[in-house]
Amino acid sequence: MTHRFRVLALLLTATVAQVTVFDEVRVAGASVEYLLLVSVLAGYHGGPERGAVVAFFAGLLHDAVTVTPMGLHALVYPSLAVATSHLEVRLARFTRPFLGSGLAIAIAGGVLAAAAVGSLFGLRELGDPGLLRTTVVVVVMTVAVAPPTSRAVRWAVTGGLPVDVDLRGQGAEGGG
Amino acid sequence: MVAVPRPAGRSRPTLLLLVAAALTLLTLHFRGAEPLSAFQQGIRDVLDPVRSASERVARPVQSAWHGLFDYDDLRAENERLADELARMRGRRLTGEADKELLERLLGEVDIDYTTLETVVVRILGTPPGNFSSYSLEVDKGQDDGLEEGMAVVTGAGLVGRLEVVDRSRSIVRLATHPEFRMGVRLVGSQDEGLARGGGATGRLVIDAGIRLDAVVKAGEVVVTSGGRSRFPADIPVGRVSDPDDDAEFDRQIIVDPEASLENLSFLNVVLDPVRFDIEPSRRR
Repeated sequence: MTHRFRVLALLLTATVAQVTVFDEVRVAGASVEYLLLVSVLAGYHGGPERGAVVAFFAGLLHDAVTVTPMGLHALVYPSLAVATSHLEVRLARFTRPFLGSGLAIAIAGGVLAAAAVGSLFGLRELGDPGLLRTTVVVVVMTVAVAPPTSRAVRWAVTGGLPVDVDLRGQGAEGGG
Repeated sequence: MVAVPRPAGRSRPTLLLLVAAALTLLTLHFRGAEPLSAFQQGIRDVLDPVRSASERVARPVQSAWHGLFDYDDLRAENERLADELARMRGRRLTGEADKELLERLLGEVDIDYTTLETVVVRILGTPPGNFSSYSLEVDKGQDDGLEEGMAVVTGAGLVGRLEVVDRSRSIVRLATHPEFRMGVRLVGSQDEGLARGGGATGRLVIDAGIRLDAVVKAGEVVVTSGGRSRFPADIPVGRVSDPDDDAEFDRQIIVDPEASLENLSFLNVVLDPVRFDIEPSRRR
């Protein structure tokens, strides 16, 4: 299976999971942001360029299934993937808990950035008192499903093609 | 082992290209580009059977979960309903008087709200994602004759409008959504204005169209104005809770919605009578 088919399979599976399993499991009205997680991990494992492209298509799929304006999440996710990728270079030697915290911050940043862009289009009030609570719940739930997802994303974005980084520290290897 | 720094230079043009593409898509979306909507709807329609299957599988699990962990809530809800029933019995006469008053007020302007053609829809819950404040997903769509913009009501009045209509599902934007706008008429004073959703307050705000010197009373019934609005005229919206009599510049009349979604499972979508006069074959 080529790299592109792996990424396609990853994105389609993630989209189906987003609107089925993760949509049914809601805590305080919030659900896992699975496509955001895939975008962040794509940047982490695949590097800035590949991560940004995967994140862009993840964002488009997210826009399609969540009925947000086409391009909203596709605008936010690539930047996040690139930022994660650059941070990953600096965090390569850190431990799993530290990387988990970094992932939590990235997810929170993604949710808040999407909310900020969405507020420009009247989708959500930035002053909404529920936004902070939603963000916290989303972060906790999303980070909880990160370990298996990390392996799947690494398989998809690095498989079959040379990667930008060929040497990784132990902390980065198991991270996510 | 340590990570080798990656060449960052190549990612910048890629990122700029993707951001430009996203902004272009957003621009096209807000200009109403049909292919984009069709693409989005197509994906949702393809996923619809999977979602329905997932909901069927999840329903017993959710019921069991609520039974196990929300027992106290269920008991409290049961007690609340029992109390409410007792109160309703006690207030039946008052309710009849209120109903008479409402009917009298609505009768003054030939309101025929109850005879509107509607389709009953079941509430499925909140739409996918975390951007669904003030929105609901319902179980009928284009296949049932629904179209974007149609009014959604309960027996008590307006709830919102259909924002997105797929083949077999739709999303309702609630009237309390901050971006919700509709023309309204005050039944007592006959003044017409523009109301918007009050967001987290759960109320509506009439902030345009009402004269500063118009006499508006607390408790006055507010209905949709019709006219150029997409909603049929004279659907009850709510009652004035604060007429803002003291306003000197911007008058903001606060309206409490009549329709409550608490404990509701079904809604009615008002079909457009003009369209169905023209296309009776599409009616179901």
